[in-house]
Amino acid sequence: MEKFIDHCCEKCTHTKENPCKDFVRCCVEGPICHENVACAKKRKAIIEKVALNEQFVIC
Amino acid sequence: MHEKHLMICGATGCLSSGSHLVEEALIEELEKHGIKDKYRLVMGGCPGFCEVGPIIVVYPDEVFYCRLKPKDMAELVEKHLIGGEIVERLLYKGPDVDAPARFYDTIPFYAKQKFNVLRNSGIIDPESIDEYIMRGGYRAFTRALDLDPPAICEEVKQAGLRGRGGAGFSTGLKWEFTNKAPGSKKYVVCNADEGDPGAFMDRSILEGDPHAILEGMLICGRAIGANEGYIYCRAEYPLAIKRLKLAIEKAEAYGLLGENILGYGFNFKINIKEGAGAFVCGEETALLASIEGKRGMPRPRPPFPAQSGLFGKPTTINNVETLANIPLIVREGGADDFVKVGTEGSKGTKVFALAGKIRNTGLCEVPMGITIKEIIYDVGGGIKSGREFKAVQAGGPSGGCIPNELIDLPIDYDSLNQAGAIMGSGGLVVMDERTCMVDLARYFLSFTQKESCGKCTPCREGTKRMLEILNRISEGYGEPKDLETLDSLAISIKDSSLCGLGQTCPNPVLSTIRYFRKEYEEHIDEHFCRAGVCKELFNYRIDEEKCTGCTACVKACPTDAIRGEKKEPHEIIQELCTRCGSCVEKCRQECIMITPLGSEADVSN
Repeated sequence: MEKFIDHCCEKCTHTKENPCKDFVRCCVEGPICHENVACAKKRKAIIEKVALNEQFVIC
Repeated sequence: MHEKHLMICGATGCLSSGSHLVEEALIEELEKHGIKDKYRLVMGGCPGFCEVGPIIVVYPDEVFYCRLKPKDMAELVEKHLIGGEIVERLLYKGPDVDAPARFYDTIPFYAKQKFNVLRNSGIIDPESIDEYIMRGGYRAFTRALDLDPPAICEEVKQAGLRGRGGAGFSTGLKWEFTNKAPGSKKYVVCNADEGDPGAFMDRSILEGDPHAILEGMLICGRAIGANEGYIYCRAEYPLAIKRLKLAIEKAEAYGLLGENILGYGFNFKINIKEGAGAFVCGEETALLASIEGKRGMPRPRPPFPAQSGLFGKPTTINNVETLANIPLIVREGGADDFVKVGTEGSKGTKVFALAGKIRNTGLCEVPMGITIKEIIYDVGGGIKSGREFKAVQAGGPSGGCIPNELIDLPIDYDSLNQAGAIMGSGGLVVMDERTCMVDLARYFLSFTQKESCGKCTPCREGTKRMLEILNRISEGYGEPKDLETLDSLAISIKDSSLCGLGQTCPNPVLSTIRYFRKEYEEHIDEHFCRAGVCKELFNYRIDEEKCTGCTACVKACPTDAIRGEKKEPHEIIQELCTRCGSCVEKCRQECIMITPLGSEADVSN
């Protein structure tokens, strides 16, 4: 998962054809539809790559 | 993970002063040391301080390097990135700081600013949708999808947001009108036709944070019941257009634009229409005509665009800065936060483009209600060359001139209107004592006269007649009755022109007559331009007592009009002098005087 649009695992089904209402929140706070430490880590890794400091992310 | 992030200003201002060359040199240095992968380089949006560009901000250290040249990159890499030591000589230095300043909190230019609209500019990669989402992007839109459209209009009304493009009409009310207008097809239009000389607020927002505009348009679309939007942007803004196109592509790929967005059954598409640069196309009905493929000319209102706009359908037209405020207002608790900043009648912040004779040119975002004095001296660093502040032209060619006597005027929609100016889009052109107010009025009127579309007689003919009079006054042929004629013509044009351009174009003339009448009278009655601008109305003379005979003026004079031996007082041969001012710029003793024709007295003060 290098971008938020990439699926963290097969449980994520968000595409523009099959949209998920929680997609935007899920990008930063997810996963929302399931619990999985590895999936959360994937999102965190995307953020850590670009976050300039601790105040960078706004929820 | 990157050890540091290097945010290089990649906006048009810094690019024109060579930030792309700085970037190339930085990459070369990093590669030379084999450490490129440790650092993240981003050509970001504008941090506002154009005067000191090109700029690089190093995070997480938060060190602000400025006035950079490609040759500085070797030292920056070796000393700071490898050695961990700040390169002091590349920090901000100026008369307003005692020691080199390290970052936003120590640079006076930023001290009174509040970043709402420019919240992401220079902080994120404008070409990354992920970074926009990390900064809370598209949250407000997601919330709007859960709200009833009238409730969204109500929140925007409660926030007190007024249109940032010129007239300052309530944005929430505008949305409500379109929401209530009958019809199944409606449009959102983003007016990005920024045409005022010296203004570049909208360009910087589009270049630095394009998704904020898309999100603002999406929320507006949801609120008014529109499923299509247009961004009307002038073709002279190629970087803004490139980034907008990229942002639209990415939002579509993420399912944030298109059909059934986020599963709410809401559809929205955004088109970009490139304008050809006509100033009149910033007027909303002319802009709509231009999108429709017609000649960009205004039409009478009513019907207003909220009833009958683009292709005859109900349309909301908002300016770039207005739309950039929307996500802040519609996010959870946003309206409550928004009203905490500003004045009773003007909420939030305003982005201004500082230009003219000011030390710190650039963009600033300040709370509504800040005084002109604070903007000019605290943010802008005062007047260049230590000269006296004379006036500021607020609101571009449609705005008015505010004199030194009103320097404590708080900047908000109502105070500016009372002073004879307008907020306009936010251009502030600062003038010192060497600015001639007759020439200033002439400049702005010649701009609006050339840009008049010609559809209505008062604007087409009236501005020509006014310009003829101003030209005569500047050339020494003014007559005592001219001021009355100018005043009467200006009022007729304001009252009877078809569109906002005509209705406001006499403002620079009216406000300069109101506040600088004596200067007009001096041009007419004494044939003297005290500022030394109107070439037919003054002479340069050298003060023999002050002149040291350094010969700097002799070398600078392009017409060999200055004579004199070294270390002896010089003299200007009036027949040869073209009054170009080259000698004044070079004279270190300030011994070149501006005198009335035929007089040798120094009356320049």
